[in-house]
Amino acid sequence: MNEIGLLVQRLLDETTKTSVGLFVPELVLSGTIVAMLLCRILPLLWRVPAQWIALLGAFTAFAWTLCQFDQLVGGTLHATPIFTGLLMFDQFATFFRMFLCLFLILTITLTVLSGIPDREDAPDFYTLLLGATLGMMIMASANHLLMVFLGVEMASVPSYAMVGFLKGRKKSSEAALKYVVYGAGAAGVMLYGISLLAGLTGTGSLPEIGHRLSLIVSQGAGISDPIVRTIVLASLMVLVGLAFKLSVFPFHFWCPDVFEGAAAEVAGFLSVASKAGAFALLVRFGLAFSGGSAAVSEIAFALGIGIGVLAAATATFGNLSAYGQTNIKRMLAYSTIAHAGYMLMAVSALMVMKFSKHGGAESTAVTLSCIEGLIYYLFVYLFMNLGAFAIVALVRNQIFSEEIEDYNGLATQCPLLCFGMALCIFSLIGLPPMGGFFAKLVIFASVFKATSVHWAMWFVLGAGAINTVFGLFYYIRILKAMYLKPRPDGARKVSYDLMPVGLFVLMICLPTLGLGVLPARFAETFNNVASVLLTGR
Amino acid sequence: MESLGNKLSTLLAIAWLLPLFGFVVEVFAMSWPNANRKSKAAAYFAIFCIGFGFVCSSIAFYEWGEGTDWAAFKAVDHGHSEVANAAEHGEHAATGHDDHEHKAATHETPKRTVFSGTFYNLAQFGNLKLSLDYYIDSLTLAMFVMVTLIATCIHIFATGYMAEELVDDYVDHQVHTHDGGHFHRPGRFYKFFSYMSLFCFAMLGLVLAGNIFQVFIFWELVGICSYLLIGFYVERHSASTAANKAFIVNRVGDFGFIIGLMILWTSFGTFSFDDQHEVDGNVNKVTAGLFTMVRGHDGHLDRSSDGQTVLLKNEQDVNGEWHVRKESDPGRKTITYTLLIVAGLGVFGGCVGKSAQFPLQTWLPDAMEGPTPVSALVHSATMVAAGVYLAGRFYPMFVPEVLLTIAYVGCITAFVGATIAIVATDIKKVLAYSTISQLGYMMLGLGVGGWGAGLFHLVTHACFKSLMFLCSGSVIAGCHHEQEMTKMGGLLRKMPITALTMLVGVMAIAGLAIPGTSIAFSGYHSKDAILATALAYTKLNPIHFLLFLVPLLTAGITSFYMFRLWFYTFLGKPRDQHLHEHVHESPWEMTGPLLLLAVLAAGCAIGGEDGKLFKMLTFSEPVGVGQGVDGAAAHTVSLPGHAAIHASHSTAGSAALLAAFIGMSISYLVYGKGVINPADIKRQAASVHAFLANKWGFDDLYDVMFVKPAHVVAKFAAAIDKFVFDEILHTFVRMGIAVSKWDRKFDEGVIDGIVNLMGNSTYSLGISLRNVQTGKIRQYVTFIAVSVVTLFVLLFALYPKG
Repeated sequence: MNEIGLLVQRLLDETTKTSVGLFVPELVLSGTIVAMLLCRILPLLWRVPAQWIALLGAFTAFAWTLCQFDQLVGGTLHATPIFTGLLMFDQFATFFRMFLCLFLILTITLTVLSGIPDREDAPDFYTLLLGATLGMMIMASANHLLMVFLGVEMASVPSYAMVGFLKGRKKSSEAALKYVVYGAGAAGVMLYGISLLAGLTGTGSLPEIGHRLSLIVSQGAGISDPIVRTIVLASLMVLVGLAFKLSVFPFHFWCPDVFEGAAAEVAGFLSVASKAGAFALLVRFGLAFSGGSAAVSEIAFALGIGIGVLAAATATFGNLSAYGQTNIKRMLAYSTIAHAGYMLMAVSALMVMKFSKHGGAESTAVTLSCIEGLIYYLFVYLFMNLGAFAIVALVRNQIFSEEIEDYNGLATQCPLLCFGMALCIFSLIGLPPMGGFFAKLVIFASVFKATSVHWAMWFVLGAGAINTVFGLFYYIRILKAMYLKPRPDGARKVSYDLMPVGLFVLMICLPTLGLGVLPARFAETFNNVASVLLTGR
Repeated sequence: MESLGNKLSTLLAIAWLLPLFGFVVEVFAMSWPNANRKSKAAAYFAIFCIGFGFVCSSIAFYEWGEGTDWAAFKAVDHGHSEVANAAEHGEHAATGHDDHEHKAATHETPKRTVFSGTFYNLAQFGNLKLSLDYYIDSLTLAMFVMVTLIATCIHIFATGYMAEELVDDYVDHQVHTHDGGHFHRPGRFYKFFSYMSLFCFAMLGLVLAGNIFQVFIFWELVGICSYLLIGFYVERHSASTAANKAFIVNRVGDFGFIIGLMILWTSFGTFSFDDQHEVDGNVNKVTAGLFTMVRGHDGHLDRSSDGQTVLLKNEQDVNGEWHVRKESDPGRKTITYTLLIVAGLGVFGGCVGKSAQFPLQTWLPDAMEGPTPVSALVHSATMVAAGVYLAGRFYPMFVPEVLLTIAYVGCITAFVGATIAIVATDIKKVLAYSTISQLGYMMLGLGVGGWGAGLFHLVTHACFKSLMFLCSGSVIAGCHHEQEMTKMGGLLRKMPITALTMLVGVMAIAGLAIPGTSIAFSGYHSKDAILATALAYTKLNPIHFLLFLVPLLTAGITSFYMFRLWFYTFLGKPRDQHLHEHVHESPWEMTGPLLLLAVLAAGCAIGGEDGKLFKMLTFSEPVGVGQGVDGAAAHTVSLPGHAAIHASHSTAGSAALLAAFIGMSISYLVYGKGVINPADIKRQAASVHAFLANKWGFDDLYDVMFVKPAHVVAKFAAAIDKFVFDEILHTFVRMGIAVSKWDRKFDEGVIDGIVNLMGNSTYSLGISLRNVQTGKIRQYVTFIAVSVVTLFVLLFALYPKG
């Protein structure tokens, strides 16, 4: 009894003294959700607009994470596992939480400007939006297999509802249904993988997995060994769950249908935020194999090569499928698939370098640049993809269409929006001096370093290079429609206010250029995040 | 003194740079696609810039006065009394007046104050330092106040005058298109004011400049502004031709200017007017400026014993006085006397071009193609006077031979301009010729040694001439762009304010005064000052007696043609009844400036040579001018000193007034009263009239001498280009085309084939990939299972067996 009391006492101490303090941003978001729902219930508070509450909450959370990040870099706070090791509080997690909060602010601003949702539905919508973000933040800091699953589900379930938010539209409901069913299937597979892994190792804590696995895998065991076979299968199944979130080929089928059915704002949110969370989780899961014996490293190495091949296939498939699309949201959906492919290449290079037999100082440097490239890419991707979706949403409000041919000659009517779109597209293609170019450059450079370890990486690198060319064709179609085609007679006129709308568009589109012109400013921070994650320094 | 210099330079720099800021803002606002062409915002902004400049200049003037204890106004009084005292004591009676003046100037007059320094170093090539300097003395301040005040008035006037440009579609009735219609274009209100702002910036920069190279920069900048403004109605053939003419003729003068600059640089090694103070570590290094090197502290020119070489003073002793270095000193600098003459003439060449002096006067009448406010600001009050200003600023560098040239050029210009003005019938052309003539007066004044007189006339002329131009603008606007005086007449009743203010201007330029009293129009004082100097000059150098007689005659002619203009336009019966009916008085923003300028034109020179304006100007008089120069020893001309000039005043003044009254009376008899029919005179003196109407044949002469030969040479060069060089080029091009034809076949057949094949195949692959996306959810979920199994099988197959 005494011992249990002591245990409870310790648990309480750990929770209240450290964990809760570091968990404040998530708590703020939760509180904001509660506040919005309260406003809904109390007739007195009906008049308080939900978006301002949501925005306030998002800002607070962002400011808090920013402070935390600043303190981590400054050395006042230290990386530590929290909630008895369920979550990890470190620079990597905090960076992603900050990133997600920033993105949340931008998305809420966009929805305020574009007018989706209406007043009646606003509390519901923002509840879902904040809830999904909360899940993604947990994904980013997950340190336990349990939290991996919980995070993915917490991010997914509100997303399903958001996709079906345009209630009257058949396409929307259909998309939501597809998303739910597909998500359920993927979650099932993932859960199976998690239980296998937990059963094998007897723990769910990610940092311990590598060590535990090396206890059961004998040296030199191949795939014919049942334990190795199970480990591979289990890891594969966990990866399937993440691949669903990342819309990696061949688990991407939901993506085009869902993006086409969902509102552009939601599609923009899903394309960036849920990918960011999933990538953070993927990196953590991949690094879970470290600290084990050579045999475990070999498994991880093989998984890394497999991820690389999938990345190449995803990028190619995404780009090629985009060719025939006439709906701009569907085209952008395929474009997000392709970009997931590029970013996956960075993860592949990371795992290959990290778990190769010939490790050393140089390979550590390369792994650093892998993470750095991934973060850089995500950061650029936030602006360029959100920018593209935002402009689609803003234009949709005026011409009630998302077909590319209805964009003909828009440049004459809304030069600023088209200029923003052009910036985003140049960055998506990866033309210098846009941010997209430098992000791709960093990733390709690390893949190139990885080619010295395994020949298959040449294939990945080649696929990446050729896909850059593939991408050019279909992106340019949008610009061609906007700038070179004449505006047909009788087409709806597009007008927009310079003040909030134009400013917002510039605010999210110009960073794509800024990140390209001044890469050094950001690279330092990203490098810092990467080095703390990999080397603890 | 240090802090006063900083204060002045800051204030004047603000006044100088504000119009540049205005220009930039107006130009960018103009190119904004949604700019409203009907808004007067550009005008208000331009007025604000120049108006604020005026405020700054006025404050600077006040600060300067307070800082120097208004020494300028006291000094001359003081000096005069000292002269009187000296004469009473009779100590130097034997040496004559000149010597008295010498004493007074060197010992009793407080040292004139000049503030100079550097704003910004542009570049340094070896010893050649190019910088933006300032040189502030009472002349600079007077010019600043004058330019900003007149410019403000003209800007306000222009908001009314240019109002017809406030449209999206301006119809230029003077430009005919091929289909017989008129030319349509967007209104250019913005553009006008942006050019005006740029001009103000350039003009103020020219006045503020502290070195001759900087003067040259702004010299060219005012030139380009003048070019832009003359060609404002660029679609009119006459306007674009006039703009070209103005620019090209000015280039001829500037050629001389550049030669002068080169000589100055090679011989003196500096462009700076004033001494340059440089702090190098702890050592305060002072290098002599141009004026110091030539004139030293007493205005005396040091020449070698044979008179062929001028020795430059570039060594400073402990008392701060400058001396010629010893012969053995490697730092000793000299310049041959001839070269100094050439340098002076070169710089004066620039002034001839800019101030439309004989023989480069032909561009100014054509420049009247610009809008009338431009004529008032650029082509009468400021830019054309810049030549005179520079001649005054650069005065210490001119040796007597150069001054003699200046005097004769001015004299001829004054006469030629005045005679042509008699027969001109375009109201603006009359004023243009009168401007040429008056600029000639100023040059004459400077040339005969009347430094103060020439610049005095510059300021008074700026006031009354800008007034008259604005009046003519008001008349032209009222008469719906009719400029021919032969169609006007009897406008006095229709536009009383314009008519009466114009009359003030006419009386001012004619130089009228009430005999026996000190009541006189500004023009009387300044012209009297010039004529008095000229008379004193001819007394010293009797051989140059024409330098007094011609200007005196010109004064009469001036009075005649100016009154002719006024009688023609405002009195008598309307000659064009239709036009007369539609005439109307101009709005307040046009008449307001007229009234203000009329007050200035009448009274800016109150007190004459004892008045504040003249005293202020002469406070900056270069050392040595006051006592005159005795040229007998050096076999050159002599220059009169202050005392000699003073002695000639009453004679010259009466003569000038008499001439003016005679001119006015004849004019009244012919045009006001109609006693003599001008047509009769015209018939009797047909050949003279034709000669004058043909502008003394200068345009024809230049056409034959320069334009035609240039055309012939150009045609010849063009022919060589066309038939020789072009042929060679064409051959190369044909060869290139042949090669590229083959290249194209290869490109289209082989390279494009490969590229298209690849493109098509990837595209069709992409299209076929669409079929995978069936949209059926059952299939999707099946794919999950299938994919997991497939991936596992693949891993199983490829993973090392162990």
